Amino acid sequence: MPSSTSNFKRKLQLPRLFFRKPSQLERVHGGPPLEYERPIPEVPWRGITVVVVLIVIAATCAWEFYCRSIGYGPTLNDNEDLWTMARRGVKPESVVIIGDSRAWFDLDLDELQKGLSKRPVQLAMGGSCAYPVLADLANDENFHGTIICSIVPRLFVAPPGTPPMERTEKAVRRSHTQTPAQRVSQYLAMPLEEHVAFLKQEELTLDDLLKRLPIPNRPYALVSPRLPPYFGTLDRERRARMIEECARPGSELQRRIQQIWLPLFTPPPPPTYIPKEDFGNKMGAAIEARFHDIAAAVKKLRARGGKIVFVRFPHSGELKKLEDRETPRRGIWDRVIKETGAPGIYYEDYPELSGFNCPEWSHLSAGDSVEFSKRLVPHLRKALQM
Amino acid sequence: MLFNSLTFVVFFVVVVTAYWSIRSWNARKNLLVGASYIFYGAWNPPFAALLFSTTAMDFWLGRQIAKAEGRHSRRVWLVGSVCMNLSMLGFFKYGNFLLQNFQWLLARIGIIYQPPHLDILLPVGISFYTFHSLSYTLDIYRGVLKPTKSLRDFILAVSFFPQLVAGPIVRAGDFLPQLVRPSSLRAGQFLWGLLLMTLGLFEKIVLADTMLSGSADRIFSYAGPLVALDSWLGVMAFAGQIFFDFAGYSTCAIGAALCLGFHLKDNFRFPYAAIGFSDFWRRWHISLSTFLRDYLYIPLGGNQVRPVRAATNLVIVMFLGGLWHGAAWTFVVWGLLHGSYLVVERVVRALFENKDWANNLATGLFAGFATYAAVCIAWVFFRASDFTVAARMLHGMFGGHAHGDAIVTTREMLQIVLVTAGMILVHWTLRDSNIETAVMRLPRWIVTTAWALMACAIILTQGSSNAFIYFQF
Repeated sequence: MPSSTSNFKRKLQLPRLFFRKPSQLERVHGGPPLEYERPIPEVPWRGITVVVVLIVIAATCAWEFYCRSIGYGPTLNDNEDLWTMARRGVKPESVVIIGDSRAWFDLDLDELQKGLSKRPVQLAMGGSCAYPVLADLANDENFHGTIICSIVPRLFVAPPGTPPMERTEKAVRRSHTQTPAQRVSQYLAMPLEEHVAFLKQEELTLDDLLKRLPIPNRPYALVSPRLPPYFGTLDRERRARMIEECARPGSELQRRIQQIWLPLFTPPPPPTYIPKEDFGNKMGAAIEARFHDIAAAVKKLRARGGKIVFVRFPHSGELKKLEDRETPRRGIWDRVIKETGAPGIYYEDYPELSGFNCPEWSHLSAGDSVEFSKRLVPHLRKALQM
Repeated sequence: MLFNSLTFVVFFVVVVTAYWSIRSWNARKNLLVGASYIFYGAWNPPFAALLFSTTAMDFWLGRQIAKAEGRHSRRVWLVGSVCMNLSMLGFFKYGNFLLQNFQWLLARIGIIYQPPHLDILLPVGISFYTFHSLSYTLDIYRGVLKPTKSLRDFILAVSFFPQLVAGPIVRAGDFLPQLVRPSSLRAGQFLWGLLLMTLGLFEKIVLADTMLSGSADRIFSYAGPLVALDSWLGVMAFAGQIFFDFAGYSTCAIGAALCLGFHLKDNFRFPYAAIGFSDFWRRWHISLSTFLRDYLYIPLGGNQVRPVRAATNLVIVMFLGGLWHGAAWTFVVWGLLHGSYLVVERVVRALFENKDWANNLATGLFAGFATYAAVCIAWVFFRASDFTVAARMLHGMFGGHAHGDAIVTTREMLQIVLVTAGMILVHWTLRDSNIETAVMRLPRWIVTTAWALMACAIILTQGSSNAFIYFQF
């Protein structure tokens, strides 16, 4: 057997581009090494490693300082593992909040705990459809608690295969299939995310930075919709709070987010490969199916003694005009209440709930969310006959 | 657990520190067995029992093969091992697929049969560890390996965590000899292992997941007709994604093993610089292609039979190779396409190998380009969720949708083209060399900068990436 040194020298041949026939050894064994010793490049490894470590530490610190200097702060990422952690906290008689980001930002868990005598579990998710979570809770034979469900019509009836549905389905699936390794990773990630500002999985990753490059596109290129930048923080109970910069009247961040909501809430044009009429029929059928599914889930939940209340949270400005035009109350909201027979709280029906202003048109500021929750509690108690 | 997860980082640091702190060789091996089972059990603890039972059975069967006198009884024990391994693989991986096809066949002759739905969870990496274990009994039967006396060593050979769930398929005969003598900690080897792990993670997280997978997913899942440019970009994106994903895992595995003092063979050798399909399979997933060659193609007769028979054998081997990747007919078509490529190549070689023009630079470049294009066409079946998607993609690639949609953004185009061009350039530059040689020849500052940039890019992606594609196999 040749020594490892001679073997290594043999392998350090000049690279040739073309037409080298594979050696007999390579033909037989699929490649070197045969004597179970990989060649180790002879370079000053210790020196190189020290320099690499120093560069990586310096670059990471510089990136962290830069991110903080442009307004980012440490907060937890809302991923499916954090959601699963909260889902695991649901007890048979829990009060559970489901739905979209309005239920996430606008409800204060401390106030609800004071008013409802139970600390709610926050399962709402940003930009998501509530149905998969509702179905999951309805199918959970152990659960017979109370659900507070937010309705943003466009999200609530989002058909299967769209991002709002996929986001929730992914989280529900993870809660059923989470591996011990994923669970441990979440526990390890939380302390890091609570102290490092650049750990923003939906905003400061390489992929997101590349997406922000101002490169012109072909006319019909399918460009992903722009999502709002960082404007809230999240704690381990998944309580979201708007940051001060966003709540500050007239702030640049506030204006930017307002202009992002409008295209996000505007219905996209139908795909070019489906006739407009067929697409309309398909969407109509999907929405009808959703009403049916929701009614069935609510019935199942109530049969076990569970309760549910639907809530329409405040929104304002141009976004309210857009939502009122595209998804008026008499459409989806009234239909959900009618089909399910469940109580509903539409914020505009109550003067004490309708006087709030959403700084970026869609969510309440952290301070207002506390007051809003306090005022919402009596309505919840009444609707839920508590 | 995934290599690209915080759990693995902590796990690896703890294992490596404990491993090199222990003096006793036996204690080190015990530690690695424990760590490997924790690594595997971190997905689904009950499946660790399945892994153990397969391993223990093959250990016992290996001894029976060695003890047996006479070719017939040796063969009986081997058949027992092959049946045990393949039936387990068949049940977990192909159970529902077989039932669905059985139902379809009955329906063709007018019998309506509703099979029970088997809610089978696929144990991660079962295709890999089954082959790790099977290579042991096969090599004992072939007389190229003596059975080990230590069950613990065999357990470690099968379950060694760097290569356990997504390869390379390390044969027991290649690993067991490394368990005889303790390895010593060498700084160069350890740090080179760390660099390889960084390179592997960079390939996976940055190149595969960040630069390519989004475009490939979007294009393959687009339900409308696409123009030729967008269709080709989608396939090129997937060609790059699957290479960086799988080669990235293999590189991580090799690096992690080196950090622990073990040497695993290369699983990829710059495959997109292949000239011809036999060359491609000498460079792509080498551990699988050599496994199929040694344990299937050669026993079927290899090249020592008539050309028609040899060609049939090739197609059979590639058919099974395709099926190994997944329980779907699209994988079978992928395998059969590669089988037919190999047969056509043999014919072309036989006809033109001795011509002068066949060995010049231009022909080589053309053959290399044609190989890449044909491999890309085969990838369509590998990636497509069904034949409708595959047909739509192929139709688009060959100009069938002249007025189709053009959905790819300029940024995505740039990412696909730049990463693919860079990948092919590196593959052609290093096709007759290896990465160790390249590192030796590069100036130190380039090695240092490249390592630092890869590490920074990994941190910047924040590990927000997907599971390795080959885990599902």
